[in-house]
Amino acid sequence: MIECTINGETVRLDADPDMPLLWALRDLAGLTGTKFGCGIGLCGACTVHVGGNATRSCITPLKDVAGAAITTIEGLDADGEHPLQQTWRALQVPQCGYCQSGQIMQAAALLKDMPNPSDDDIDAVMTGNLCRCMTYPRIRGAIRDAAAAMKEASAHG
Amino acid sequence: MIKRIFLALLLLAVVVAVAFTVYAWHSELPAMAASDRPDFDAATVEKGRVLAAAGYCATCHTAEGGEPYAGNYPVVSDFGTIYASNITPDPDTGIGDWSPAAFRRAMHEGVDREGRHLFPAFPYDHFTKLSDQDADALYAYLMSEVAPVNQRTRESTLPFPLNLRFLQAGWKLLFVDFGRYQPDPDRDDAWNRGAYLAEGISHCGACHTPRNALGAEDQGQRYQGAVIDSWTAPALTSRNPSAMRWTAADLSGYLKHGADAYHGIAAGPMGPVVHAGIAELPDRDLHALGVYFASIARDGDSGPLPEPDSSPAQASVAAGKPDPAWRLDDGERLYATACASCHYNDSADNLKATRPDLGINSATRLDDPANLIHVILDGVPADEGSQGVVMPAFRSALDDRQIAAIAAYLRASRTDLPAWPDLPERVGELRAHAGTH
Amino acid sequence: MADTLDSRRLPDQGPSTPRLSRRAFLVSMCAAGAVFGFPRAGLAAMNPQAADGQPLEAAGQRFEPTLWYWIDTEGRVNVNVIRAEMGQHVGTAIARILADELGARWEDVHIEHVDSDPKWGTMVTGGSWSVWQSWPVYRQAGAAGRLALAEKAAALWGVKASAVTVADGRVRAGGRDIGFGELVRRGLDRQFSEDELKELPLKPHDQLTLLGRDLKALDIDTKTNGQAIYGIDAHREGMVHAVPILPPTRYDCAITAIDDSAAKDIKGYRQTLKLDDPSGTAPGWAMVIADSHWAARQAAGRIQVSYQTGDATRVNEAEIQAENRRLADDADAGSILDTGDSGDVDAVFKGAADTFQADYTTQTVLHFQLEPVNALVFRNDDGVWEVHTGNQWQSLCLPWLQKALGVDEDQVVMRTYLLGGGFGRRLNGDYAIPAALASKALDGRPVKMILTRADDSHFDSVRPPTLSRLRMAFDADKRVVGMDSAVVSGWPTKVMMPAFMPKGVNGEPYDPFSSDGIDHWYGVGAQRARAISNELAEHTFRPGWLRSVSPGWTNFAVESFMDEAARHIGQDPLRFRLDHFKAEGRNAGQAPNSVGGARRQAAVLERVAALSGYGRDDLPADSAIGIATTYGQSRSMPTWVGGAVHLSVDRDSGRVDVHKIWLVVDCGTVVDPNGARAQVEGSALWGLSMALYEGTEFKNGRVADTNLDRYAPLRMMDTPEIEIELVDSTEVPVGLGEPGTTVVAPAIANALHAAVGVRLRHLPITPAAVREALRRAES
Ligand code: FES
Ligand code: FES
Repeated sequence: MIECTINGETVRLDADPDMPLLWALRDLAGLTGTKFGCGIGLCGACTVHVGGNATRSCITPLKDVAGAAITTIEGLDADGEHPLQQTWRALQVPQCGYCQSGQIMQAAALLKDMPNPSDDDIDAVMTGNLCRCMTYPRIRGAIRDAAAAMKEASAHG
Repeated sequence: MIKRIFLALLLLAVVVAVAFTVYAWHSELPAMAASDRPDFDAATVEKGRVLAAAGYCATCHTAEGGEPYAGNYPVVSDFGTIYASNITPDPDTGIGDWSPAAFRRAMHEGVDREGRHLFPAFPYDHFTKLSDQDADALYAYLMSEVAPVNQRTRESTLPFPLNLRFLQAGWKLLFVDFGRYQPDPDRDDAWNRGAYLAEGISHCGACHTPRNALGAEDQGQRYQGAVIDSWTAPALTSRNPSAMRWTAADLSGYLKHGADAYHGIAAGPMGPVVHAGIAELPDRDLHALGVYFASIARDGDSGPLPEPDSSPAQASVAAGKPDPAWRLDDGERLYATACASCHYNDSADNLKATRPDLGINSATRLDDPANLIHVILDGVPADEGSQGVVMPAFRSALDDRQIAAIAAYLRASRTDLPAWPDLPERVGELRAHAGTH
Repeated sequence: MADTLDSRRLPDQGPSTPRLSRRAFLVSMCAAGAVFGFPRAGLAAMNPQAADGQPLEAAGQRFEPTLWYWIDTEGRVNVNVIRAEMGQHVGTAIARILADELGARWEDVHIEHVDSDPKWGTMVTGGSWSVWQSWPVYRQAGAAGRLALAEKAAALWGVKASAVTVADGRVRAGGRDIGFGELVRRGLDRQFSEDELKELPLKPHDQLTLLGRDLKALDIDTKTNGQAIYGIDAHREGMVHAVPILPPTRYDCAITAIDDSAAKDIKGYRQTLKLDDPSGTAPGWAMVIADSHWAARQAAGRIQVSYQTGDATRVNEAEIQAENRRLADDADAGSILDTGDSGDVDAVFKGAADTFQADYTTQTVLHFQLEPVNALVFRNDDGVWEVHTGNQWQSLCLPWLQKALGVDEDQVVMRTYLLGGGFGRRLNGDYAIPAALASKALDGRPVKMILTRADDSHFDSVRPPTLSRLRMAFDADKRVVGMDSAVVSGWPTKVMMPAFMPKGVNGEPYDPFSSDGIDHWYGVGAQRARAISNELAEHTFRPGWLRSVSPGWTNFAVESFMDEAARHIGQDPLRFRLDHFKAEGRNAGQAPNSVGGARRQAAVLERVAALSGYGRDDLPADSAIGIATTYGQSRSMPTWVGGAVHLSVDRDSGRVDVHKIWLVVDCGTVVDPNGARAQVEGSALWGLSMALYEGTEFKNGRVADTNLDRYAPLRMMDTPEIEIELVDSTEVPVGLGEPGTTVVAPAIANALHAAVGVRLRHLPITPAAVREALRRAES
């Protein structure tokens, strides 16, 4: 039995300790917003936050997150109104959308750690997230816009 | 004539043997029933709890999945496997019938209540420094807070004659400097407190000091770094490979949080040392440890501190910036797609312990790539390193050659150190190695 | 020619086909479930706006002017979409066409991706056809609704229908004003005959108010909050999980033994099924069944399966390419495409003063759509097999499913989920078959199968290794007098849908998706274009349709060749191209789809040359701008594209650094400008990715690079600046999903040559190849 918190709720998962967090989230917790792409940590579709850090859930064994706080795309913002989600919609970033949960989670971690990312910073951190529809130009734009919006918000709040 | 010489030699041998026997022999101390134990006050018990943590007693005295302190944790050595003993207050299989004196003797002299020598896997060579009060506090804690568990300790797999406990006395004679900690009057209180903890209960040298052929710490190379369970416990002296100088503050922060922005995280065998151990110490003690090790890091030099120098961090961050040629090298390509999402930093002023910069991280700079490879293979669970943060495990994702390529890329691009030889083979060995981590 | 080719490609498509005309215009349709015992419409259809995918429930009575939508008493317009959503926001584009013609308020519009009831006609999403095909159909449907609403209001108010306007969800005349919902509540049952529909007046272009406006796609929200439901998310109470164990090669493998003893102690492992497939789709597959995906996956890793294998296990990429060359050498091989009556090619070449020839090849490319293929199959309470998956060509897959399950058409239905990338991979629905067979073996129990990424790649229907051989003949004045082309590869259409293959002028069938692009719009005198199928390839693996299909490689050949041929006779490549876009004869174009012909292609080329600064001489050493032009998919529905690429070459490493891409696109009417740009951006980057980074090979009949540790598509760090210009046009809207892909590779090859003087004729252009070419050029 492994206990952790997912999107703020404490859960106890009775599963193989070696089961990747990805499958525990999808098949046990019923949170299918986190996607399976490559299974080897190289596409980013499965990105969630563990302790606030972007983490590839497909190669993270469940036993390693015991006691940790996990956030998935479903829990990034209760109303789906994280600044990144807003700019993502404004720029209509998603095409097929399959990679986008991972992209948004990765970008959220990026902005938390680097509130004013340069294009280089965005490229370096986001290159691990494959978008097969190649929405990269818009992802870049949406991250820039969200960074600006967050700065604005913190200046006024 | 020859006969006389022979007789003389024989006599000498007998004298030595008798002397050794006298030295080696310890009487059994009387058993003490639980009901006869003294009463413990809460403060003493709490002190004992913190000391037990600082000595991470539970780590070695608890088998995987087993009850706390019930023993049978395997300590694998070059000589064989020794199983840690049951130190719960169970009278039959634990230490439930030990008196405080018997406990103290075990800590200070490495002899159990029955008078048998303990194997030095139990670091009495350090615990001998512990004050009587602290030994008693530990006793109080174990006796009152730990649940008795009836579990027999397994026999060691040491071969003859190493399994003869009697012979341990010889080892002690050769290598152990018995006696309580003696403060250094030339140093301040914090330094002495740090030294007391480090040399005593926390037995830091047990991992960080190389051992000689007979498994004793080589005092001539104190804290020069050693291999433990296929990991490197880095040198804590000026030979420490870190790119950034360790300060007292960095050190105490590292011991409190298991991570430091300039030096990386406590993983592998160091993971529980921090999180199931030293982090429990009050800040004052952590500060003392920081002071002590900062001085060790300067090989004891107590002159004025050099100016802080952030240039290694700046250089590393700069070397990590995106390079359009990133695809040319397999290691760089894999790093950019697998690692940079977390191991990337925008500036040296904004380093975070939760996003370790791998250019200044010790793991990239050690002579042996094992620490780096271990972490890539098996990741870091939430309860090690930066608390609550995990590093995923690439064991099933990347092959030996690919992990080697990442390690080689980091070494070449972020350090001026020589390339690691035979990396793919080393990854293969470590992948096969079933360590305790 | 254009139209006949289209109808051959897409039988049973469009408003004039019998099935649609018979059923499409009934006013009150029976509920979809009533006909075949299909699941309730709500269960088999998919609403991308809703977290649970459940379609909108109509409030009160529904008015269904045609098959394609209904309006309820709250005035909500629910548009039925038969296309699969895979990133092109197709539902939004189609709903917009309808809503615009109808006069609906955009906020009232909803979309529903429908089930696979035969009433919908052929269901396929590919070829960038969706908007082009939907345009006339949904406009007529919208016009029908508009007329019905106007007539109803006119009767209500006692005015003439012509005095009534319908706009923005309101119906008005004089000072009076009523909403759609209110009119529906009063009872609306207007019916239209097919002829009436055809006669319905459509709005003039300038009255279309939604068209060309930036509207937010209706599927965007759920794609940013984790609620969008893809095939991999399908769930059914009581389902078991399956992970297949694939045979060494696609064909000719039979299982001889299965040993699962090492898997028995895995918690949740149930059994391993040896599939017996009457449809022949999945020979030699075993399915590991377990209580969780993870358990099945672990078990699969421990189960030993032995096979009897066939010849394909000995085939490598090099042999397939050698066979391509052998076939190109064989003058009698293949089908000869209709290039008009342009003269005797052999005679022209015999009499030519000069000829120029070059071969261009491309390596195997994977789809690598991000969502690995998967399917959930079960038999529902009505005894109907439900297949829940993402699929681009339901009409191709359903007959396979019927055969595999041994049931009739009315016993299988598909619920199409959002696709985590299509790019043509999911045109081939092969992956649904093993899941169905497993469910059949388990007496209809729900079985959910997900392939590992490596297996998805291993059995991808790849873009096959291709060869294009081009020859050009010149007279003594260096004028082009003839062209002879051959294109060789494995043919997906032959393997999966032979009925879709038209016949060439020599009576031999050909796969348009493996030859489109070779019959370009340049006037070159006597012209022959041959398409040849490589059976060795087809026997080794199952070739597939991959984004932009053959124009992705034939244009690499044609547009590289045009540069080479120009230089061969000492002409400027831009001038040379423009001179040969004569817009005469068959290159003059045809209404409705290719109005203007080569003239429009010349226009986009000229524009992109100007925009990019092509020809400027102030660029640093080893860098250059290269151009190319294509017409997207096929001559029958050309999307005119001009492309330019600015790059530089690092001579030491051979690395090509692309700095900027310009694209000028004439796709006729732009329905959705933002979506159009998104499609062009994505497709251009695909072109870049396949030009420089993507390529694997067959080794022993297997794909050599099956995951991202070795297969390395374009990433954020490689993404250059892209500038796109969409030509203002009121012509028929054609496709956008693929055309951008086709110009980039040749523009790169041409820029590379301009920059450092070497010609690369193989894709992908790797640093090693560039280094090697530079080395050879120096010695
Ligand atoms: S699925 Fe986890 S990184 Fe690709
Ligand atoms: S939007 Fe389709 S993979 Fe990124």
